[in-house]
Amino acid sequence: MNAAILTDTTLCIGCNECALACKRVNRLEADLPRRWDLSDGLSARNWTSVVRGPGRTFVRKQCRHCLEPACAAACPVGALSRTASGAVVYDGDKCLGCRYCMMACPYNIPRYDWDQRVPYVRKCILCAERVETGGQPGCTEACPTKATIYGDRDALLTEAHRRLREEPRKYIDKVWGEDEIGGTSVLYISNVDLSFLAHGMALDRVPVPERTSLAMSAVPFAFTGVVAVMAGVNWLIERRMARQAEDRHE
Amino acid sequence: MSRVRRLKLALWAIAGLAAAVGATRMLIGLGATSNLSDATPWGLWIGFDVMAGVALASGGFIITASVYIFKLERFHAVVRPAVLTAFLGYLAVVVGLLFDLGLPWNIWHMIVFWNPRSPLFEVGWCVMLYLTVLALEFFPVPAEQFSALARVRRVLLTWRLPLVIAGIGLSTLHQSSLGSLFLAMPYHLHPLWYSPWLPVLFLVSAVALGLQMVVLESHTTAYLYKRKPETGVLEGLAGPARWVLLLYLVLRFGDLAARGQLGRLAVAEWQVAMFWIEIAVMAALPVALFSLPGIRRGRAGQWAAAGLGVAGVVLNRVNVGGLAHTGRGDALYIPAWTEFAVSAGVVAGAGLAFLFCVERFAIWHERPADPDADPLKLPEFDKVGTTWLGAPAVADRTVYSMAFIIAAALGFAMLPSTAETTSRGVEPMAARGARGGEALWIDGNLDGTGVAFPHDLHKEREGGQSSCVKCHHMNLPRDRASRCAECHRDMWQPSDAFGHDRHASPTGGCLSCVQCHAADAPRSAASAKPCTACHRDLVPEGAARVVRQYDAAGYVQAMHGLCISCHTRVMAARKKPDLGRCATCHREPRAFVDAPDLAPRGRVGSSVVLPGGRAK
Repeated sequence: MNAAILTDTTLCIGCNECALACKRVNRLEADLPRRWDLSDGLSARNWTSVVRGPGRTFVRKQCRHCLEPACAAACPVGALSRTASGAVVYDGDKCLGCRYCMMACPYNIPRYDWDQRVPYVRKCILCAERVETGGQPGCTEACPTKATIYGDRDALLTEAHRRLREEPRKYIDKVWGEDEIGGTSVLYISNVDLSFLAHGMALDRVPVPERTSLAMSAVPFAFTGVVAVMAGVNWLIERRMARQAEDRHE
Repeated sequence: MSRVRRLKLALWAIAGLAAAVGATRMLIGLGATSNLSDATPWGLWIGFDVMAGVALASGGFIITASVYIFKLERFHAVVRPAVLTAFLGYLAVVVGLLFDLGLPWNIWHMIVFWNPRSPLFEVGWCVMLYLTVLALEFFPVPAEQFSALARVRRVLLTWRLPLVIAGIGLSTLHQSSLGSLFLAMPYHLHPLWYSPWLPVLFLVSAVALGLQMVVLESHTTAYLYKRKPETGVLEGLAGPARWVLLLYLVLRFGDLAARGQLGRLAVAEWQVAMFWIEIAVMAALPVALFSLPGIRRGRAGQWAAAGLGVAGVVLNRVNVGGLAHTGRGDALYIPAWTEFAVSAGVVAGAGLAFLFCVERFAIWHERPADPDADPLKLPEFDKVGTTWLGAPAVADRTVYSMAFIIAAALGFAMLPSTAETTSRGVEPMAARGARGGEALWIDGNLDGTGVAFPHDLHKEREGGQSSCVKCHHMNLPRDRASRCAECHRDMWQPSDAFGHDRHASPTGGCLSCVQCHAADAPRSAASAKPCTACHRDLVPEGAARVVRQYDAAGYVQAMHGLCISCHTRVMAARKKPDLGRCATCHREPRAFVDAPDLAPRGRVGSSVVLPGGRAK
């Protein structure tokens, strides 16, 4: 099973129960507005928030748990990884604090403990422990209007398409997260354009890790090639110089 | 003071300042000692210290390749300075990185936890390996001074060729993979910079930069030590640098054309201006200058062209490294002075180490005379102070130490206290609405003009806190508050803000009633023209004062405040936990939510100019 969340923004009443449940379940401390915050309400201590989309719609923002996460491919020590259940989780014991994951995420999700002496990267982990023991994430459990629901990704996709089919006038005919950047486990259906969640950029289907993989796969060949060419050139030049020296002797 | 001594004094002072800032950064954390944020996780320290630092150290592999592989013996004179610069450059990168990493003590994790898919993993390994290679390449130079190390030196020299080849391979890899890092940011890096060819562009610019860096460094040290620069040899570097830069220009614009981004070059954006500055400083100007034989052969010309090229590549790396990123929030990132101090301090440290090596070891064929020693003066023993006086080297070291300590003390004094820095960022937020505010700016037709409503006076007159409901709850749904006319039926009475008598009396406006009130209707507020029909801007010249603009609680806030406060009280008293939940009232999906008129009007918290009258 690929754990997933489907959020239907037309059902959301903006009550923030999901955000409160998240703080309770993950034992996140209270937060104050800080210099380093973005305006979307997410921070090292707020892993999900309700933001206002176009037309003053409520849109829940959280980690998208990509099927091919850019952050996990970026991390030099593999501190971020995708579990078998589909959650993208973080291991602070490995982290160096380079923040490449924050730079690589197309949705600007990971946040940093800027105020800590020993800072870590913080983001939604899809309540990985609860999910793996058969439970569901705190947020979906708390939602009073079932605007955000938990389930298997395929089942939720079916459900999303069913809603789009049954009420085509209510929704924009698109499931956000179905195939952008290789697909995400957190899906949205909505009556407004949700591309603002990725700064209005039109994300294409190419998973972000694929964009670096070509350059990375060329590494061994580039190294061997350069070394071989250098050794070869050196050998040729030395041989010619040796011959010239011989000629001079004769 | 000689040139070198003045420079050293400055470098020690910068290093002292950086030491204070660096220590504070380690003790307090990143957020308090930098302007980095969730919008700009990478800033000056990555863009300059790491990205530009690695590029600036590229002279090492270019010159060793020229001399040891291509056997261009005429460049032999610049091999040692180039290798030393590369070695110190990479050390500086690692030290700079330690300040930027959130958990610098975990830097060794890259050795044990592997993620070969990550470009940063490759960069990290290449830096580690190449730093080792450079150390082994450079070690024979200081080892000359110590006879005990003669055997080690001999062994290292026999291994020189494999070391040089390994160094070239490693440099090629990670000069380019610094570009690969940004392939993972297609939605953030500005399209003028984002390209699948970034690794190649980075490598080509690094090669050009390596050549120019050797030129710049040779001239700088020649100036400092009043040494004769190897101008003829350097001309041999300037020539190829021009061709590499031309290749770079072709690649850069070819890439833009291939991606169909040439049209973007005329867009009015600051990034476009930055792109043109970068191209001019980094490539176009150096190519033009190096093409003129007079400049290519002359000392000043070489120095200026190489200096431009080096500055341009630094700008390019800083742009790619974070400056030319979009879509990370609208906050503008300007590095804090502490960030500049640390970056400058790392450079100063590397500079001091370079000068130390130059003075102690045989970096050039002839070592410059130790500027600290006056060969004619002998130190003399002072019996009173029991010290040796007159040894200039000792005296200089005292001055340098003082500079370092004073700068460090200054740095600590300039840094905010721990309490301030740990709570940095918490700013008092202005309360929304007019609660407690003196005046409320009523701008009914949303055109930026309106009247000042004395909110405090109203509250006082109507009976304090309990009176809010008189305006904020008797209103019609979705109205923001009761309109003035609901109470002020008789707007001509002296209590009004309008001044009816003044308008109506012959000495005032000289207006007849029908000029404002419709002729066939009762003369009331409803039948009057809006003020703005005559008073286009309502702000008489010279009679203006600036007051704070407030925004009254709208219907949503008022309703929420009234319902929720009571609901939560009852919830606690009767132990009904659901009573305080949103969904208790919002039972229907989006009930009350899709109402059309919920947007708060007016600009909260901005200052506006009001008509004169009672001065505050």
